[in-house]
Amino acid sequence: MNKTRIGLLLAAALGVLPASAWAQEQKKAAAGATKATDSKKAEAAPSKGDADATAGDAGNEAAAGDGAAAAEGATEEGGDAADDGGLEAICKLDPAACPKVDFDVEAKKALGEQIYAVQQLYALRVRRFELNPYWSFSLNDQFVGHPGPGLALNYYFTNVFAVGLNGNFYRYFNTDSKFNGDVRRAARVGVPLNEYDWSAALNFTYVPAYGKFAGFGDFIFQYDAYLVGGVGALSTRPIAVFDPVYRNFNYSTKVAFNAGLGLRVFVYRWLAAVLEVRDYAYMEELENTQVAATNEDRQKSSTWMSSKARLTNNVQAQLGVSVFLPTSFDYRLPK
Amino acid sequence: MVTTSTMKKSATSRRLLPVAAAALALLAVTEQASAQEIPLTGPLAGAPAVRKMRLYREGRLELTPAVSFTLLDEYQRTIMAGATLSYNFTDWLGFGVWGSFGVIKTPTDLSEQIQKTNSTRKSEAATAKGAPAGTPGANEAIIADRLTSVNLGSDFRKQLATIDWVAAPELTVTPFRGKLALFQSVYVDTDVHFFAGPAFVGLTERKDCPANSCNAGTAGAFTMVKRTTIAPMFGLGLSFFTNDWGALTVDWRALPFNWNAAGFDSRGKGPNQDFPDGRISSEDRLFKFNQMLSVGYTLFLPTHPRISP
Repeated sequence: MNKTRIGLLLAAALGVLPASAWAQEQKKAAAGATKATDSKKAEAAPSKGDADATAGDAGNEAAAGDGAAAAEGATEEGGDAADDGGLEAICKLDPAACPKVDFDVEAKKALGEQIYAVQQLYALRVRRFELNPYWSFSLNDQFVGHPGPGLALNYYFTNVFAVGLNGNFYRYFNTDSKFNGDVRRAARVGVPLNEYDWSAALNFTYVPAYGKFAGFGDFIFQYDAYLVGGVGALSTRPIAVFDPVYRNFNYSTKVAFNAGLGLRVFVYRWLAAVLEVRDYAYMEELENTQVAATNEDRQKSSTWMSSKARLTNNVQAQLGVSVFLPTSFDYRLPK
Repeated sequence: MVTTSTMKKSATSRRLLPVAAAALALLAVTEQASAQEIPLTGPLAGAPAVRKMRLYREGRLELTPAVSFTLLDEYQRTIMAGATLSYNFTDWLGFGVWGSFGVIKTPTDLSEQIQKTNSTRKSEAATAKGAPAGTPGANEAIIADRLTSVNLGSDFRKQLATIDWVAAPELTVTPFRGKLALFQSVYVDTDVHFFAGPAFVGLTERKDCPANSCNAGTAGAFTMVKRTTIAPMFGLGLSFFTNDWGALTVDWRALPFNWNAAGFDSRGKGPNQDFPDGRISSEDRLFKFNQMLSVGYTLFLPTHPRISP
């Protein structure tokens, strides 16, 4: 029986909510019957909701920039007008003191607000984790492609500085291009080739640039650009090109330095599309282009590798998404 | 005394009441939501996303001298000098012409390696022909020289195709306009533009030659000729406005077309024509997604932009 009572009580409480909404409509009508100025105030009351909605569409407070600044102004006006219960009381008590505001005239006035070049940042990064799954593909190797999935995890100590890790997995995705075969066939010139297994790196990220774009003069989106660099390991091995009958290589790990830059376009405050270009530089061990004269020597693995390691740059594009955690945050200061 | 029937009724009531309460609650929520449908009024009604915006492009002529660098070249890099001249009908739509000349052409490391091997091979083969049999590597050099005689002349670098000039009418659309804050102290108006159009490309390429006339020893087998091809051109770029009349512009553009960049005989015979046929022809022109990066400075006329309401 107690549950029944609670259920009925809940239903009654919820039933009160729509009544309050209707009550506003009735008040507006009543006010319109008595005074024109009151009617305008009643219309202004909903404008608070409109202004908020507009700011929200444009990316909320700071995001909308100029548009949001206007929204803020409108919100304040709406907020004053919304308090019409108190104004009504004043008007009833002392009609002479009743404020008379023509909102049509007021709306035409220049807002004259102070507008900042870039207002509150749309998405704060400080004390947030960034999880960035991506797909990478080679940009500077005509012979062998090194595409593959990757994952980066960063933690932002400040709004512009982060420390993190990233890793790439290449093993099953290395591709030998058709161009490679064409050159070998046409010129009888072999080029040492290498394939990748995996990589991992400790990275530092700095975000020096951010901004916003208006698309078609209609919607606004936010972006930032960042620099990233670090050091880690890259596992590679040569592909047997010059003596594939005898040569077979194992993966070995090299120290790899990396540096790059990226662009992040925010979809939400916690989700962004990311395009990054990063160069992984390391000393590559190449296959020996010379083949030993005898079969016995050809079988010796000591004759398979070139004596000189070569500085190699693997420039790759990384296309993915960033998820910021926690998904929400609070601004330290009011706008 | 409580009967079984009364107990069943009581249990049914207990189940029905929460359901009725939930239904009432849903109805209540629906009513409140409909009450929020309010016509937009106030100063924001119909307001644009950005007010007082500098319309950098609308009704202005722009001239962009630029240097272009070819990207991901297989055999030869080209640096081009040129300019774009265009007129913007609106702030987001313009039409113009981009023209550029290849002024610096340098072979890639691959081309240098091919030439080095080719040179050594020809030298060894020449020596071996007059030398006693059994000279180390001589036979291999002779065989390799014979197999590559259609593809490699005396200097491989001189048979590489080059992009001599490009002229391209282009339509430019600028959908994104915004600003960039650098180090939280420098603020730059920026836009993102896209462009596309047909490109007329002037090439120097190895001349076609019939079978048995393309070997290295044959006169004229490796002569070069000029031709013009038409290719689609498209790309995107960023403009960073430094003042009312100037902007630093960075463009990436693609010009995919077929050409014989190395002067090789690589197609024309066998299944799908995928094997060499001993002659140089249009079938040896392979598809290449040619790309360029252009850096330039745009000058706008008139020097003062319009301002949006």
